[in-house]
Amino acid sequence: MLNKINDAKEKFLQNIEKVDSAKLLEELRIKFLSRNGIVSMLFEEFKSVPSQEKRAIGQGLNALRQELQAKYEALKTRIESKGKASAPEIDLTLPGRAPAQGTAHLITQTMNEIISIFKKIGFSVITGPEIESDRNNFGALNFPEDHPARDMQDTFFINRDFLLRTHTSPVQVRIMESQEPPVRAIMPGRVYRNEAINSRSYCMFHQIEGLFVDENVTFAELKGTLVHFAKEFYGNNVKYKFRPSYFPFTEPSAEMDITCFICGGKGCRVCKHSGWLEILGCGMVDPNVFTSVGYDPEEITGYAFGMGIERIAMLKHDIKDIRLLFENDVRFLKQF
Amino acid sequence: MKIVLSWLNEFIDLSDISVETITNDLTMAGLEVESVTDYRKMFENFIAAEVVQKEKHPNADKLSVCKVNTGSEILQIVCGAPNVAAGQKVALACEGATVPDTDFVIKKTKLRGELSQGMICSEAELGLSNDHSGIMVLPEGTVAGKPLAEVIGYNDVVFEIGITPNRPDALSHIGVARDLSALYSRPLKKKEITVARSPEKIEDVAAVEIIDKDNCPRYSAVVVRNVTIGESPVWMKNRLKMAGMRPINNIVDITNYIMLELGQPLHAFDLDNLAGKKIIVDRATEGLKFTTLDSVERKLKSSVLMIKDGEKDVAIAGVMGGENSEVVPATKNILIESAYFNATSVRRSARYFGLSTEASYRFERGTNHEGTLYAALRAAELMAEYAGGEVLSGELDIVSPKLELKTTELRFSRIARILGYEIKSEWVLTILKNLGMNIKSADEEKALVEIPGFRPDIEREIDLIEEVARINGYNSIPSVDRVTSPLKSAVDEMELQNKIRNTLIGYGFNEIMNNSLQAEDVSRVFAEPVAVMNPLNAEMSVLRTSLIPGGLATVAHNLHNGEKNLRIFETGHIISKVGDQIKSFDNISEQIAACLTISGKVSEKTWSSEEREFDFHDLKGYLNSLFESTMDINVLRYSYHNEERGIWQYSGEIFAGDHLLCTFGQVKDSYLQKFDIKQVVFSAEIFVNCIKRNLDKVKKYSPVLKYPKIVRDMAFVFDSGVKYGDIADYIRKNSSPLLKSVSLFDRYENPKTLGDGKISLAFTLEFYDNERTLTEEEVEREFSGLINKITKNFNAVLRGN
Ligand SMILES: [Zn+2]
Repeated sequence: MLNKINDAKEKFLQNIEKVDSAKLLEELRIKFLSRNGIVSMLFEEFKSVPSQEKRAIGQGLNALRQELQAKYEALKTRIESKGKASAPEIDLTLPGRAPAQGTAHLITQTMNEIISIFKKIGFSVITGPEIESDRNNFGALNFPEDHPARDMQDTFFINRDFLLRTHTSPVQVRIMESQEPPVRAIMPGRVYRNEAINSRSYCMFHQIEGLFVDENVTFAELKGTLVHFAKEFYGNNVKYKFRPSYFPFTEPSAEMDITCFICGGKGCRVCKHSGWLEILGCGMVDPNVFTSVGYDPEEITGYAFGMGIERIAMLKHDIKDIRLLFENDVRFLKQF
Repeated sequence: MKIVLSWLNEFIDLSDISVETITNDLTMAGLEVESVTDYRKMFENFIAAEVVQKEKHPNADKLSVCKVNTGSEILQIVCGAPNVAAGQKVALACEGATVPDTDFVIKKTKLRGELSQGMICSEAELGLSNDHSGIMVLPEGTVAGKPLAEVIGYNDVVFEIGITPNRPDALSHIGVARDLSALYSRPLKKKEITVARSPEKIEDVAAVEIIDKDNCPRYSAVVVRNVTIGESPVWMKNRLKMAGMRPINNIVDITNYIMLELGQPLHAFDLDNLAGKKIIVDRATEGLKFTTLDSVERKLKSSVLMIKDGEKDVAIAGVMGGENSEVVPATKNILIESAYFNATSVRRSARYFGLSTEASYRFERGTNHEGTLYAALRAAELMAEYAGGEVLSGELDIVSPKLELKTTELRFSRIARILGYEIKSEWVLTILKNLGMNIKSADEEKALVEIPGFRPDIEREIDLIEEVARINGYNSIPSVDRVTSPLKSAVDEMELQNKIRNTLIGYGFNEIMNNSLQAEDVSRVFAEPVAVMNPLNAEMSVLRTSLIPGGLATVAHNLHNGEKNLRIFETGHIISKVGDQIKSFDNISEQIAACLTISGKVSEKTWSSEEREFDFHDLKGYLNSLFESTMDINVLRYSYHNEERGIWQYSGEIFAGDHLLCTFGQVKDSYLQKFDIKQVVFSAEIFVNCIKRNLDKVKKYSPVLKYPKIVRDMAFVFDSGVKYGDIADYIRKNSSPLLKSVSLFDRYENPKTLGDGKISLAFTLEFYDNERTLTEEEVEREFSGLINKITKNFNAVLRGN
């Protein structure tokens, strides 16, 4: 009897080797573990075993049943899970179900990219209203009345005293009038110019203004800050130059040029064959501005800078018509 | 301002410096060279040539075949000009020449079968004038083979310089030369006046009287007699043309020439047309008419400064002369006006008449009060030489005693304080002297600097520092990346707007940006708009009172392009008027808004989903989620309007406390018609400040479920007028605290199964206690209690499970 038990085990182990499908597994179960299977037959036979042998053979039989059952279950699990993984009825090449993805406007993206560079080096982000007083937009910024400097910025007027701000610089006035130095802030926002709408000009655009005012701020620090910005934004290898310019609210004033990234400085239509692109205006805050906001120009120095976002975005993304930015064609918006 | 190189060379020797270097150095000193025209290069391969033979073209009536002597060979040229003739000296573009302002390169070619080895040019083709009528004929004595640039006096370079409003001195050749003199430390040459004077005295033939001395602090006049009006010499005409001015006659040309040379606008009067031989500078008589040189009759007002003679107005001071005293071919005697007018006065006149001239442009920026007489004499000298006149002895020169030179102190230590680096004081003084400043005194610490009349922009120490900085070069300023400033925490006023933006982008919205200037009719429905005094057009006459019209304009634009499914948003300022008149900022309401607009399909038909149109509840869902992720939603209160209101067909409002946070709904057809939209649109406007006032407080942890929750569903058939919101509120109010949530899981109407006017709503209720495990029995009690109440209160019938 014990031999038969061993034989049954041997046979099972030989058989299970070849089982690799649910069908063969079922055949194995029927042959060994079903009601009429080999194990049940052995239990039938066990009934007629002499009582003195019953104990040993009984233990052997139980052990056989347990072992076979366990091996069968293990294989069953393996075959079932394998069957699932290779189920032919799922077409894995079907398109995925993607959630709708929106886009930030290109001007927002460009603006936020610039803002983040200055935020990292300790600039606050401050905003101001789009309707400004003539005084904040011009007078306090050292644009005398009846001065040709006012012609530099064609203005939309609301009345004699109020206008649509022509630049973000009045936010400088607001900040300095509301707090003591040091002041370190950038001021993004929308500005307006009374200019005919065509591919190169629009009646409004966006600027980012910067201001740093303290006891010993110098032109050298202005250069340092803006060079840092240019390297972060245009890459470490960017070449730059500062050349004198004129803004009523800064003295000395400068314009910053970088090597034209379209032609690499060789000269092209975009850089008017100069190899340089003008990217921003800057300078040391004019003492008259300090006086009008109540700071002492003997004690306080500072720098300011400003840049037009549309121009930067258009150059970077090769957009030749500014109107595309405000037409809001979703086929345009989704490109960025 | 166009600056001619040979002209500059008369004031400073630049012969050893390349055009490229000058271009770069001027730009780096603040006189930005916008373009350079090098006529020597432009006229490369253009020469003077002689037409030796002209024959008719065998195959074309209007063409002729010419033999042309280039000095070294005879070429055959086919020419279409009617005026070409044998014996003429002409301008010839040889092989390889590029026609100015084009990319057209001259090549050997056959024209109607005849060889043509070049092109005989017209003035227009050479870019010298607009004369297309025929070829340019050169003077008889011209030697064939000579470079054309030399022959026509265009052997020159022109720099176009963008002059900033603070540099009126650089609106002249001498001014640009002065900057170069400082840059290169080379002397600035002055032209001495050497003209012989006739014995007759000016006082005997003319007089000047200034009545408005404030607006005319100086008036210099010189008289030139017996001039012959004619053409100016070629070199002068060429320089004027290169500088962008049209030659007129020798007298007018000379006044323009001196203006371009010295920056002083001059006016030449026909002395014989000045009644009483007298000049009076005075304000205009209100309402009088005056005809200027451009033949336009203008109405005067009393604030305008005029030049008058003994009887009448003869010029608008600093702006334009009058027809009545203009120099004409018969003019014999000239009074040259060289005045210093108040900049503001000229600017106001020019603006009043809408007339900007070369003269007014310079006067309103500030001219040199020291240089008026010199300029008049320089002009007189040229008139003597080129118009055959005699310059009378003496001059009329009335100078206000108020005209003084300004003096400013410069502390050397201040230069480093502003620029961040040291410049040696001797070098500082050299720069200032080379710029024409007069150093009155100087010690180790400071200098006292007298500012010359031609630099009205310089008044203060900081202005001198800028002069030193730009001449020494901004490149020499170090770039320092160190900041020593107290720590201060940075704020970000854009943070909330960015959070809203990023959340909506996550929901699949595309951000748009619209013009904030709108038509009044679309804006007025939201609030009283603020109007612009000088709009570009009626469609852009007011500031937007709402972002919704922009959203709708965007929908319209995209529908037109075939993009029908839109989920767009914008954030920006909305502005309206408070009160009748804008006298202060209190009369302006300006706030940040965010606008969501959806239209078309929320989802397209795909392999695994059905298509569905956007509806009100999509919009409401977006708003709920947006508020949940940006603010404390416990303060929110909703109200709904099924009736038409404002621009809405039906709408909802969300309040945070007492403040309106948001209005949203379906836009009514009549409003959509203004945008030509024929598709259903849902829109929402959010007032961002309201979110700001109700930002999320710091959230405290609340324990996650410790005990199992028990979930029960129930479905009823109601009369169809019933509102979900009312039932849900009722359930919340009428249950014990064990009920934690109510949600709607099914809603349908079907007359066949439910009967007419009936609706089925199915709710899921969740019960939970934080302290213990609920028993089935107590939930069952609670649940069946609710069922009874709902059944009674809403006349509902419970549906069997
Ligand atoms: Zn380029």
